[in-house]
Amino acid sequence: MPHVSFDRSRGLLAVLALSFSSLSYQSIAKAEESHFGYVYTTDLLPQGAKEVEQWATWRHQKADGYFDQIDGRTEFEYGLTDKLQVAFYANYAWSRAYHNGPFGETTPPEPLSYDKPGPEDHYNAVRFVGFSAEAIYRLWSPYSDPLGVAVYVEPTIGPAFRELEAKLILQKNFLDDRLVTALNLTYAPEWRYDTVEDDPKRKAWGYETDVNANIAASYRFAPNWSAGFELINEHEYNSYTFSKESNDGYFFGPVIHYGGKKFFVTATFLEQLPWASEHSDTVPGAIVDRRIYDNDFEKYRLRIKVGCYF
Amino acid sequence: MKSRFFLMPAYALVISAPAQATVYLSVEQAQAVMFPGATFSPDFLTLTPEQMRAVEKASDVNVLTPQLKAWKVSGGGWFIVDQVVGKHEFIPFALAIDAQGAVKAVEILEYRETYGDQVRNASWRAQFSGKTKDAPLKLGGDIESISGATLSSRHITDGVKRLLATHALVLAHQD
Repeated sequence: MPHVSFDRSRGLLAVLALSFSSLSYQSIAKAEESHFGYVYTTDLLPQGAKEVEQWATWRHQKADGYFDQIDGRTEFEYGLTDKLQVAFYANYAWSRAYHNGPFGETTPPEPLSYDKPGPEDHYNAVRFVGFSAEAIYRLWSPYSDPLGVAVYVEPTIGPAFRELEAKLILQKNFLDDRLVTALNLTYAPEWRYDTVEDDPKRKAWGYETDVNANIAASYRFAPNWSAGFELINEHEYNSYTFSKESNDGYFFGPVIHYGGKKFFVTATFLEQLPWASEHSDTVPGAIVDRRIYDNDFEKYRLRIKVGCYF
Repeated sequence: MKSRFFLMPAYALVISAPAQATVYLSVEQAQAVMFPGATFSPDFLTLTPEQMRAVEKASDVNVLTPQLKAWKVSGGGWFIVDQVVGKHEFIPFALAIDAQGAVKAVEILEYRETYGDQVRNASWRAQFSGKTKDAPLKLGGDIESISGATLSSRHITDGVKRLLATHALVLAHQD
């Protein structure tokens, strides 16, 4: 059986090493907290504060065969004012796949979709995805206003990828701020430089739009410790206007968070719920047992975030 | 705002990493600073459920625990040590109440949070001096909010309001 290796050697080790290299800085840095793995809150760094965050997201199992992907993200955050936080980060990914796609074809993950393994190939690749910038501006604080409200914008630029993500962040606290709830509404058009469907020798920029509605709740059950859940609903459209929907998926799972004076650690485990439905642009064979496995949908996700303050 | 700290027993199940606590004042040091030369008689109480409800009704602030660490001060007044919810941990503080039931001083005993230690600033704490149970004690109102330390400043403000109500409803009757 043919094997296709895209810089396969030590790919997993390299991404894991990058993903967790910042752990060694814990002893000399300070920290803030990110309650959830996926859902943002309106809590921002105060003016002049700096933070380094390291994310690792493991995506596991598609329709069949094997599929693993680890997305790494190394981020630097800075509080420009008490209400405006900016961040810059690098995104990179490792993936391996075999017979994971519709009808058993080997299919690379969405960020690396420009790779074209054969249907019987064993795929293994590590890639740089792109640089991102991020700004979050808080309009209302959950501690002094009836509701926390913030707006988020994040452009990403990579060799074969562009994205402009916009997000509305709402936060409401209860029980003396020990129960934190949040809602995110995301609109994110993205562009990929890939082969044209009807002319495999030609490449062009194609686009799709991700629209997400995510909610989460977390309770501080002991000093420094909180736990809760996240519910993620992701939609993909082959348009900018909510028409030509291709995929929708729901993910649900627990989150646990430790927030200390010098660092925080947050971990979320998600499983896709069997709630997916077929739409006008759904790829045939992408839904199995009412779970969607196209593009960046998979059965399980595990995200770990570590943050350290300077 | 009214609620109980659910899942208190869960504390016993979790071993937290050692806190990087900054202790600014011990209880004895706070007593000496807030009531120089006075002597203190401990009068620790366990509030009844009825008293807790009355305090919550009067202050519109949750009572986190029925335990009240109060000292009667020679010459009149009370010294109380309590704590409020911080971002990650509790914030222990001391409240000095004079013989007329007004705030004499507020001191932050420990601060373990990453940010927000501006609540220790003397000028911010001085806003509480002279406040009684009838004061609004509202952050952004008669108490100035601290940008970048909103959670800590709000909870300290609520804590002072709650203890003033506790004094009026419970301690004042101990005199």
